[in-house]
Amino acid sequence: MTRLDAQTWLAEHGDYLFRVARRQLHSDELAEDAVQETLLAALSARDRYAGDATPRTWLTAILKHKIVDLIRRQVREVELPRDQDGEEAVDLLFKQDGHWAEPVRPWGNPHTEAELSQLRRVLDECADRLKPAMAQVFSLREVAGLETAEICKELDITPTNCWVLLHRARLFMRQCLELNGFDQAGAV
Amino acid sequence: MKWMPTCRETTELASRAMDARLSFADRMALRLHLAICKNCAQFNLQLQEMRRLFRVETGDSDDAVALAPDARQRIAAELQKELDP
Repeated sequence: MTRLDAQTWLAEHGDYLFRVARRQLHSDELAEDAVQETLLAALSARDRYAGDATPRTWLTAILKHKIVDLIRRQVREVELPRDQDGEEAVDLLFKQDGHWAEPVRPWGNPHTEAELSQLRRVLDECADRLKPAMAQVFSLREVAGLETAEICKELDITPTNCWVLLHRARLFMRQCLELNGFDQAGAV
Repeated sequence: MKWMPTCRETTELASRAMDARLSFADRMALRLHLAICKNCAQFNLQLQEMRRLFRVETGDSDDAVALAPDARQRIAAELQKELDP
């Protein structure tokens, strides 16, 4: 490894790392922090880089740890998990007797790269709109892929609270996706 | 849980099934409801689809998301500090 590598990593993989971070952290600022911390960590660990993975794969692996760290740090600043608005919003999705208020429309099947890219944009926008407590639990679970036991431990909440937040987040996500065209994706 | 959960209860079970192993009774209740309810079956498919979409690496997508020039400069400067202490 030469001393030039760190700047080359930034030039060649900076945008890629930023995109991966942006869609998990829902914030430009945090995603920039994640990229910076990743490259600095890579720089100090470059002797351990064996070269059996591509630089991008190696950097992405470091980035994943940094993203989880940043989500954890951020979560502590958010009040968990009393989210009364969430409860009322869920009430609107169902009738009194527990049936769906509106039919659940199937999602389309995107084919082209442009369609997929549009869907990803909607996915990110919907995730950005979740309430902070929900967004964090949802990101740790669905994006970072942590087990709920780890999430509960990190946030010091009960598994029940965790499941309630995930259930609401998922209901809101699918509603938001449907309202923003997932049900028409790839329709001819 | 009653022998047949409502749609609302079914979405809770389907969501929890994404994160943990359900009890036998809950699994049966979920399966029974999904077998006869199109809306909940659709919801259950969409939970899995959402997970798939989120876990796919999408750093390669061609959308306009990129490091802002000032952020790039700041990061380059931080790296340079480490390179020439």
